[in-house]
Amino acid sequence: MLPHRSKLSVAVFLLPPVLLYGAAVLLPIVQSLVLSFFSWDGITDMQFVGLSNYRHMLAGDSTFWTTFFNQLGYLAVCLTLQLGGGLAAASLLASLTRGREVLKVLYLLPAVISTLAIAFLFQRIYSMEPVGLLNGLLGAVGLDGLERPWLSDTDTALAAVSAPEGWRFVGLYTVILYAALLAVPREIEEAARLDGANQWQIFTRIRFPYIRPVWITTTIMATTYALRGFDIPYLLTNGGPGQASELITTYMYKTAFTSTDFGYASAMSVFIVIECLVAVSLILLVLRRKAV
Amino acid sequence: MKTTRRTHWAAGLVALAFTVAGCGGGGGGAKPSDVNPSGKIEPREISWLLSRPADGAVIKTMTKIADEYAKDHPGFKLKLITTPDRPSYIQKYETLAAANKLPELFDTDATPFARKLANQGRMMDATKLLQSLGMYDTYRKAALDYQRFDDGSLYMIPFEYQLEFFWYNKAHFKKAGIEVPKSLDDFPAMCTALRKAGVTPIALDGQDQWPLERYAAYQPFRTDGPSYVRDLKKNKAKFSDPAGQKAVNWLSALGKAGCFANGFSAVGYADAQNQFTSGKAAVYNIGTWELASLATTKLNPAVRGAIDFFTLPTTKGSATAANEFVSPSGIGMAVNAKTYDPLVRDFLKFALTKYPAAYAATGELSPTTNAKTAIPANATPLYERAVAAADEVGTELAMPWDTQLDPTTNTRLQRELVLLVQGDVSPSEFTSTMDATLGQNAPKYFQ
Repeated sequence: MLPHRSKLSVAVFLLPPVLLYGAAVLLPIVQSLVLSFFSWDGITDMQFVGLSNYRHMLAGDSTFWTTFFNQLGYLAVCLTLQLGGGLAAASLLASLTRGREVLKVLYLLPAVISTLAIAFLFQRIYSMEPVGLLNGLLGAVGLDGLERPWLSDTDTALAAVSAPEGWRFVGLYTVILYAALLAVPREIEEAARLDGANQWQIFTRIRFPYIRPVWITTTIMATTYALRGFDIPYLLTNGGPGQASELITTYMYKTAFTSTDFGYASAMSVFIVIECLVAVSLILLVLRRKAV
Repeated sequence: MKTTRRTHWAAGLVALAFTVAGCGGGGGGAKPSDVNPSGKIEPREISWLLSRPADGAVIKTMTKIADEYAKDHPGFKLKLITTPDRPSYIQKYETLAAANKLPELFDTDATPFARKLANQGRMMDATKLLQSLGMYDTYRKAALDYQRFDDGSLYMIPFEYQLEFFWYNKAHFKKAGIEVPKSLDDFPAMCTALRKAGVTPIALDGQDQWPLERYAAYQPFRTDGPSYVRDLKKNKAKFSDPAGQKAVNWLSALGKAGCFANGFSAVGYADAQNQFTSGKAAVYNIGTWELASLATTKLNPAVRGAIDFFTLPTTKGSATAANEFVSPSGIGMAVNAKTYDPLVRDFLKFALTKYPAAYAATGELSPTTNAKTAIPANATPLYERAVAAADEVGTELAMPWDTQLDPTTNTRLQRELVLLVQGDVSPSEFTSTMDATLGQNAPKYFQ
């Protein structure tokens, strides 16, 4: 603890990161907000259009809503894999006595592979002509009927682009949740066992409530990352076929840099910011209320 | 207090709006027609923002020429900033244009965005520039026409010339018992026969989207000539017009006949080429920029001897001739009016004079008529035949639609084409979607 800590010294140390945050995060958000009230192609004069970009986005552009629901689907797959898979893997790791470190490294490996390599890898895995790993495996176990071009089928493309993103960060959330599980006092679990509690009851009544703060943090992280997901879907399908795997983020990017409609793209970016804030509020509301 | 804070916020936002607005627009330093500015040549570093392969013949040739120029002009340097991936390049180019920070030279197609830059006087008039350098008449007509805007004005200089052919595997055709299609309408039957023979009929890079869009352009080019797309982009023609419907129904028929690989929309450029060069696919529609990969002794011997090519087939009552097809001169180079000065002119004069011979020596087709392509030592006889075809090209050009349509309609078209060919949407659904998209977006770009 600092012996002569004052408000001024705290402010001096906090100011640089706050300024950096303001310049790197808040300023672009405000810029996007301002730009969303204009029509601008980047090279001709900007025209003030009021709320017309928002009106078009919410009431006149069916593609936007398609991408919104796709984003929710993408979010669902990512959260299931990252949080569900991460919690399951962390629980299994916690029950292991040998080989934990090796498994942790293996789980974390996808998180350090470059996005481009992951996209390339999954393109091969999903391929139909020539037969990729997934279709090859399905054929080998007699499930030929399920073989399909996963990235080109409008029914499977969204799930196919979501899975690599989910898989990629399972290891990260596994390690975070595993560390939280290690902090659960063994004596409480032992006492519960002596009182006749089964594994499920120990998990739901002791372990999970204990790791709830970490769970809230990981849920917020995974949700906001998924709502901003862009690279893997863009590289794997570029939003296609049709709009089957188009997310708000990829649609926004194309609106800005292909259609050069920076005003409308800014309206979408403002929507993404609001969407993230709403999602975080809901998570805090639901999980904290349960904790009470 | 609250009111004061609100006022500050409002003032801040307005100030920001003006700051952002300040980024747009901006005129040039020289008039687009002032191609021979007076003044001293003062060597410095100039940059070329380009979208070409880093190890390609254009960059290699221009680097060599720039080094030569630098020997006589100490202090001169040509900095090449290349982004071969076209969507990434366009993002960079448009962002720099928005910030009014484009370098001395930059690549662009004759797109609606480039048209706006030209209208703002931000690119030098290439006709006047080439005429003043005494080089205008040395260029192939088709190479210059490809770079022109609809009104005939020219703001981009071509650095290559290409012909797009249908490369095919004769052995597969023989096995399937078919001949080269005489008409575009023969394609579905060709695909059915090849499928029956156990071969993927057509290798297609679906990931990059433009290759499938080429197929959309073929039928209208044959039935109505180049006028259809010129009218279509202005919403003066529609997909529901006879020429458009011919294309829509033909593409749907290609999909039903299984012309493309299952899952083609996720197949990349290299994979599509590999499908053909490995003998898994029978037909591959690509330009002469791939000659070094398709007409070479390095190719798998089992496939090498079987490869041949045919040009875009005509149709009954075709408005365009058999020797008229897609013959692009690639992305063009624009000269920034803002930074144009005696040095840029002098360097361009030096470079464009030396370029044709040096470029043709690498085995490529020069955009000019004054340089003979050197046939590489490891080329198959096909190479020479393909090069010779350049001199037989007719006067009408089949323009790639991705450089013609407004970007929003183009993006939607590329999306919907995949669905149409895959059978996910019917021809009538495709038509109504595309006509609605066109009606909504074309007027924003073509008034």
